Amino acid sequence: MPQWVVTDPDIYQLEVEKVFSCTWQFLAHESELKEAGSYVTRWIVNDPVLLVRTNSGELKAFLNSCTHRGVHLCTADFGKKKTFTCPYHGWSFNLEGELIGIVAGDKVYGEEMDKSEWGLRPIPRLESYRGMIFANLDRNAMPLEEYLGGMKWYFDILLGRSDGGMEVRGIPQRWVATANWKAVQENFAADPYHVQTTHRSTVEMGISPSDPLYASYGHAIVLEHGHGINVATSKTGRSIYPFQATPELMWPMFERNLSPEQYDLLSRTTVFVGGVFPNLSFVSPVHGTEGHLHNYLNFRVWRPLGPDKVEVWCWFMIDKAAPEDYKEAAYRGYIGSFGSSGTLEMDDTENWSRIVQASKGIMSRDKELNYNNVANYLMGSGKFEPDENFPGPGTAYPTTYVDFISRGLHEYWFELISKDLLDAGEEAK
Amino acid sequence: MNAELHCEISNFLYHEAYLLDHRQYKEWLDLLSEDLVYQMPIRVTSDNKDASNLVYEMKHFEETKKSLTTRVNRLYTTSAWVDNPATRQRHFVSNISVAPGSRPEEYRVRSYFLFKRSRASDIETEQLFGEREDVLRKENGEWKIASRTIYPDQAVLSVMNLGMFL
Ligand code: FES
Ligand SMILES: [Fe+2]
Repeated sequence: MPQWVVTDPDIYQLEVEKVFSCTWQFLAHESELKEAGSYVTRWIVNDPVLLVRTNSGELKAFLNSCTHRGVHLCTADFGKKKTFTCPYHGWSFNLEGELIGIVAGDKVYGEEMDKSEWGLRPIPRLESYRGMIFANLDRNAMPLEEYLGGMKWYFDILLGRSDGGMEVRGIPQRWVATANWKAVQENFAADPYHVQTTHRSTVEMGISPSDPLYASYGHAIVLEHGHGINVATSKTGRSIYPFQATPELMWPMFERNLSPEQYDLLSRTTVFVGGVFPNLSFVSPVHGTEGHLHNYLNFRVWRPLGPDKVEVWCWFMIDKAAPEDYKEAAYRGYIGSFGSSGTLEMDDTENWSRIVQASKGIMSRDKELNYNNVANYLMGSGKFEPDENFPGPGTAYPTTYVDFISRGLHEYWFELISKDLLDAGEEAK
Repeated sequence: MNAELHCEISNFLYHEAYLLDHRQYKEWLDLLSEDLVYQMPIRVTSDNKDASNLVYEMKHFEETKKSLTTRVNRLYTTSAWVDNPATRQRHFVSNISVAPGSRPEEYRVRSYFLFKRSRASDIETEQLFGEREDVLRKENGEWKIASRTIYPDQAVLSVMNLGMFL
C-alpha cells in the first residue's frame, strides 16, 4: 500500500466515483425518524439526501435537490413537514416526493407538463438492518444484508441485544477533521495497536491497565467486503466487566435476544470496535473516568470532503430498554471519551492529521525512492493463524495487534477502484 | 447595572481568558464554583426561523467541576497529544452584558467569544465563535463561574476537536 495513495487527488476522485457510488452508505437510525413527516437531511459525499418517513410510515430517500433547476431543496438538519417547497420558484413536493404544486403551472407550462414526471429523484436503493438505514446510489448493488454479510451477526449483538433495540440520543455531533477517510476508517476498524500509545494518557491517569498489550487481547475478525471488527476481552479471555458493565437486570434480556454463542461472547467482551466499508465506523466500549463504568454505542460516518478532510458525523446510541439513569450516565461517559469533545477522540485527531500532512511529498510517491514509499501493513503476517474455534462469522485472528482487517479493507478498496480496468482487460483478451 | 461592576466582571472574564490562553488550566479550575454546570448545546439549522435552533438533548460538552478537573489533569500527563505540541490559542471575549441573577450575589453575564487556535507549524488556523451565557457568583469576596452555557454559531464545528475550554 503506497503511502501517496492516502491523499492523492486523482485517487480521491476515483474513490468518489468508484467506491462511494456503489457501496451501502449509512444515513440514519430509524429512531431519528419517529413520526410521519419526520425527516433528516444527510449526504453521500456530495449528494444531498432527504430521508423522510411518509404518512404510511414507510421510509423514503430522495436527492435533496429541486427537479426544476436543481436548488438544494431542504436545508434544515431535521424536522417535521408535510411538504417541501423550493425557495426559487416555489415548486412543492409531498412526503412521497411527488410534485404537488407548480406556481402558475397551468398558465406558464403547456398541457404537456406532467407533474408525475417531475417528482424528486429517489435514491436508487434504500434498505435497513436492525434499524440502521443505508442507501446505495447503484441500483444494481447487491442487497444490504448480503453486503453486510458476517457483520450482521455482530450487529445483532450490538443493536439487537435489547428489547426495542437501540435509540439515538438527540442528533449526531458534527465537526471537520484534517484526515483521510481511509485512515480514520482503519483507525476504528483495524487498529487496536494504536491504543497503547495514542491513548497512553488513560494509563497515566490510572484508567487503563499498564500492560502494553492490554488492547491486544481478543480477536480481530476479517469480514467480507472490507468490513472488520475487533472483539477485545482481556488476558484471561474474559472481560473484568461482564456484559460491558451494563446493569445486571439487563442480562436476562440479552440472553433472550441472542444466541448462546452471541450471549457468551457479549459476556466476555469489553470493547467492540470495527467498521463497515467504506466509511461507517463504530465503537462500543466500557468507559468511565469517575470510578463508575458505562457502555454505549457510538456510530460515526466519515463523510469525505476531499482527500485530506472529513466531516465527522457521530451518533450516540444506547439500549432503549436500559434504565434512564444508566442512559444518562453512559451519555456523560460518551461526551468525556468520544465525540467532538471526547478526550480519547482528541488524541486520535492529532495522528489523523499527521498522516495526511506527511503523505503528500515526493518521497512518499517516487518509485525510485521506493525504500520509503510503502506504508507498513505486515503486523501478524505469517505469525498468526485464524482461530477455528471462534464462534462468530469471519476469519478471526487470536489477537487484535494484527493488520489483517486493514489488508481486507484495502483489498476490497482496490477491487472497486480497479474494477473497470480489470473488466476492460478481460474484454481485450 | 453600574459601570464599576461591569468593569470588574469584564476584567474577571479577561483574566480567565488569559489563564486559558496560557494553559494555566489548574488556575482556571479555581475560578469555577463547586456546583458548576458547564455545557455546550449543539447548533442546528432548523426549517422554522423562529423555532429554537439549539439542541440540548445531545451536547458537545456536558460537564461538572469534577469532570472538568479530570480533563485538566489529563492535559498535565505526558501523553495528552492534543496539547503536545502545545496549543497556541486566543480567547477573544467581547460584547459583555451584565444583568442581575436569580440570587443576591449572582449575575447573569452574556458575552461573545471568538476562539483561534494554531497548531504546530500549520498555516491554517482553527476557529470557533458564538455566545456564552454565564452565571457569575461572588463567593467569599471572589468571583466564581457558577454556570456557563456555550452557544456555538456553527452546526458543523470547524475544529478538529474540542480540546480547548471556552
Ligand atoms: S429551482 Fe426549485 S422551483 Fe425552480
Ligand atoms: Fe483511538
